[in-house]
Amino acid sequence: MVISPVHYIAVPLLAAFLMPLLAKIHRELTRIVPGLVILYLGYVSVVLMNQVMAHGTIVEVIAGWNAPWGINLVYSPFTGFLASMMTAMAFVIWLYSYRFKKVDSQPALKYFILFMMLVTGTIGIVLTGDIFNFFVFLEITAISSYSLTAFYRDRDGAEAAFKYLLIGSFASAFILIAILLLYTQVGTLNMAQIAVRMHDVPTHMKITILILFLVGLGIEAEMFPLNGWAPDAYSQAPSPVGVTFAALVVKAGVYGLIRIIFTLFDVHGAYEYLIVMGAITLVMAELAAIRQKSLKRMLAYSSIGQMGVVMIAFGIGTNEAVFGAIFLMFNHAVIKGLLFMSGSYLVYNTPNKEIQYLSGYGMKMPLISLFFSLGALAIVGLPPFAGFWSKLYILIAAADNQMIGLIALILGVSIVEIVYYFRVVGRLYFGKPSKGSIMQKPTYGGVIAMSLLAIVILVVGFYPDVITPYIHNAADALLDKAQYIHSVLPNADLSQIQNLK
Amino acid sequence: MNSLLLIILILLGGAILAYLSKRISPMLSSIVSFLAITSAALVFFFLANDQEIVKISLGDFVLEWGLNAYSWIFGAMVMVMATLASLFSIFYMKGKDRLGYFNLNFDLSVMAMMGILFSLDWVSFFIFWEIMTWSSFLIIVYNGISEGKIGIKYMIFSAIGGYAMLLALVVTRSQIHSFLITDLIHSFAGFSGNMQALLGLLFLTAFGVKSAVMPLHVWAPRAYADSPMSYTAIFSGLLSKMGIFGFGIMLIAVFSHSVDGTIFVYREVLAWLAAITSVIATFYAVIQTDAKRLLAYSSIAQLGYIVMGLAIGTKLAVMAALFLAIMHAIYKGTLFMVVGAVERQTGITDMTRLGALIRKMPWTFFAALLSIIALAGIPPLGGFVGKWMLYESLITSDHYFLIILAFLSSTAAFLYSFRFLFGIFLGQEEKEFENVKEVPFTMVLPMLIGSLLLVVFGTFPGLLFKPLASAMSFLGMGDVSWNMSMLSNGWGDHVDTLDVINSVVIIFVLVAIFLGLKNRKRTRYVSTKDIHTSGEIPTENENLTYAVDFYKPFERAIAPVMKRKMDFYYNKFGEGLETFFDFLRRVYTGNGQTYAFYVIVFLVILIVFSQQIFF
Repeated sequence: MVISPVHYIAVPLLAAFLMPLLAKIHRELTRIVPGLVILYLGYVSVVLMNQVMAHGTIVEVIAGWNAPWGINLVYSPFTGFLASMMTAMAFVIWLYSYRFKKVDSQPALKYFILFMMLVTGTIGIVLTGDIFNFFVFLEITAISSYSLTAFYRDRDGAEAAFKYLLIGSFASAFILIAILLLYTQVGTLNMAQIAVRMHDVPTHMKITILILFLVGLGIEAEMFPLNGWAPDAYSQAPSPVGVTFAALVVKAGVYGLIRIIFTLFDVHGAYEYLIVMGAITLVMAELAAIRQKSLKRMLAYSSIGQMGVVMIAFGIGTNEAVFGAIFLMFNHAVIKGLLFMSGSYLVYNTPNKEIQYLSGYGMKMPLISLFFSLGALAIVGLPPFAGFWSKLYILIAAADNQMIGLIALILGVSIVEIVYYFRVVGRLYFGKPSKGSIMQKPTYGGVIAMSLLAIVILVVGFYPDVITPYIHNAADALLDKAQYIHSVLPNADLSQIQNLK
Repeated sequence: MNSLLLIILILLGGAILAYLSKRISPMLSSIVSFLAITSAALVFFFLANDQEIVKISLGDFVLEWGLNAYSWIFGAMVMVMATLASLFSIFYMKGKDRLGYFNLNFDLSVMAMMGILFSLDWVSFFIFWEIMTWSSFLIIVYNGISEGKIGIKYMIFSAIGGYAMLLALVVTRSQIHSFLITDLIHSFAGFSGNMQALLGLLFLTAFGVKSAVMPLHVWAPRAYADSPMSYTAIFSGLLSKMGIFGFGIMLIAVFSHSVDGTIFVYREVLAWLAAITSVIATFYAVIQTDAKRLLAYSSIAQLGYIVMGLAIGTKLAVMAALFLAIMHAIYKGTLFMVVGAVERQTGITDMTRLGALIRKMPWTFFAALLSIIALAGIPPLGGFVGKWMLYESLITSDHYFLIILAFLSSTAAFLYSFRFLFGIFLGQEEKEFENVKEVPFTMVLPMLIGSLLLVVFGTFPGLLFKPLASAMSFLGMGDVSWNMSMLSNGWGDHVDTLDVINSVVIIFVLVAIFLGLKNRKRTRYVSTKDIHTSGEIPTENENLTYAVDFYKPFERAIAPVMKRKMDFYYNKFGEGLETFFDFLRRVYTGNGQTYAFYVIVFLVILIVFSQQIFF
């Protein structure tokens, strides 16, 4: 069988449908099969990334219909990097959730089916080259996320899922309307061809469509003030799902936003819009985070804040800034993954998952506390951990564009971030232990998962070169709009296309 | 292998080994840590030289490390004092919890300091700077979260400093497309006035935090006092010197390439801030009843002197500042070890309860005595030479008001110096401390070595002047004349420290001989109670000395100055901010309808203002 990008979508989707049948053969298969599927996807990633690094973008035509008529998948250094990153994170999440709740097979079956759907959806969003197909994957992602948020079937979970559903349906509606309007203007759904024809769309129409996209995808990318659903969803969903949101779902949302602004449209103001909204998102989220009593909510707000920085960096739009932004997306997936994973074990049995009960856990759960502290040091960007490098790149890019005020803002907010993370770390290790707290022993899978992430943080921190070549290519690929169009539509007229920055 | 890299790797490996070996035996962890630092020190003194350059390419950055005359001075100081402190630490920390954790961070701090000194580019400088910050944070909170939230306060101020530096260095890079420190030094003069002012302010803030200059000092007293003493010996003695190291680069090398008015203002303002810091901190030190706090405030005061010298920036002033910096590292390191020794043997550091340990812990007392003499700046020990030069440089550079402040604080320093000695070692013997013993040899040894260094450098300051002079000429100060034992001054005459030393020694010897002859036959050991005043014989419970309200009149005199505490305003400011954040947080109401409303309003705003936003 020839390895192709379509496996990313076909295999997990197929697995999701087959799993009820497999469960009848043996209960344990429901847990094992997703892992095998993701491992296979990991193998696909390795093979394809090697190809892409050597030969450039791979375009997979589905069912023999060539672009612009059929649906195609674009596996460029950028999308490939994101897809591989998501696969890797999905594997870690699978390890973590293998025996997260020792319950009977029925919830596990549901959980893993939804998880497979989520993986399909998020990777599909990243890989697809067709705007309607993009919408379909977005819906798959959204619906599986809603269900996973309400997985525990308690009151809070249901409420959070409902909020998510309410806001998410706005997103779907806006994006669908935007696609319809776009279709009336350009007469195609192929993203490369839309980009070619975008030049001829009347300005007011272009802006209206863009705004609908920005709001719709802004909801998925957790942009302020559209992110009200996020803290609830993060904190009420089962812990592995929180990680999934941070590592996969929000990344797909940001990807959508970036793809629309960088490739489809040629509106200069959108970049400034990204910077401003990113800055507002950052400030609001971090300031909200410092006052949170619940650990998971704090992590959720911090996650939103990081997405704000990612948006700012994309908004600056130079090669260096985009590089920093993609690096930060990677770091955020890894580090926030580790924080959510270790954090959920810390607050496993505490009332309302509140931080104040965590005093002295460092002695009782040394390994988990160590992981959490490592994550905290890394996420605030302290060297020599992974988070430092992305921060440095973004700040350098901002300085090169004379945005000193913006740097001061990011750094100022980082101080807030330090305060709330180090409060927790200090409490973990040096608070007076509270009596009667019950520790939750982490599963073996969980420990392995967290160790993997911790190792990545250390390795990237000490030697960023293991990852930077891929990110450099990814940044080049994202910025080179003409190359994207050319690889999908070899015969397109590129004279109207200008690489924006 | 390159010796600079080797030093960093030994310390890093030592840190990790120390952490792991705790599983075998806690004591082993401390020994591993000590051995790592010692071997790093040996490599530093016998292998490292200024020809070596390490280039490490990471990401898109090239990290460059090297050694020069200026960083060698600081490196030697760090290595010697860190070795002493880690030797001290073996027994001091014996039996305490989490030794692996402590030693890990101890070694990481030392590694970070050496890294800072080796750095030739700002990226590695910043990386090591931040490692130093978080490793010291982790040790400050080691003794538990105190009510004053000192760990967080330290972290906030360090972050302010660190991020000021980060901002400064990315701005620098956008100007000169290089992260090399030498490139900044050479191109600084070419920057626009605003850029010079901005960069100057940012770098001075960054280094000001670590050297605890007012108003960035509020973290220091508690942070120094709350850490384990074997760490404070390097925390106060060495980590703060990294701020001084940075000040040296900025104030001497970088600013000297600028003739702009703002920089001159910075110098004057900084000198004043430092002078005020030293006066206020001295006052605070006088009224402390806890020996650790006393030393902590004294550290801040001494750092004030050093910064003042660097800010004045004449040759003599810089020489004085660097000399004092080294002296301060030695005597304050020794004094914190002394307090650590006392704490370990008695369990307390409260000077109102301690007393008369001179007989129980004679060696500790001896080390304390010498260090206190050096601290107070009394000849013949090192502190005197530094102080002399500092005063002289203040006079010759026409800073008459500053010299008043400097005199004030150094005179007041006698008060706390005496109280420290008296409160702990002299006075009346207490029942409580009857069975106190001298600390083990490995704790005495580092203190004695520290005192010995003070005597040597006090007698032959020239031993230090030579490397200091080459350090200063490296920083671009030109040739600095020095002599083994001669202090020249602005009026053309000389003070020979050897004369001073000789006179003092002769007097001591004569007195000793006199006392020895006089009391030759009647030697009799007495207890404190073995006296009679006007025929009354004191009973067992009678207090003959006093330790509470030691300097009451002085406290009353300075009360108005002490009323306003910087800390108070910071706390108020912090509380205000948090209240404000809490207000902002309410944007997230938790109500789905509100969120939906936000989405609609946001869409409408975007559409209505689309012309303004997207064109």
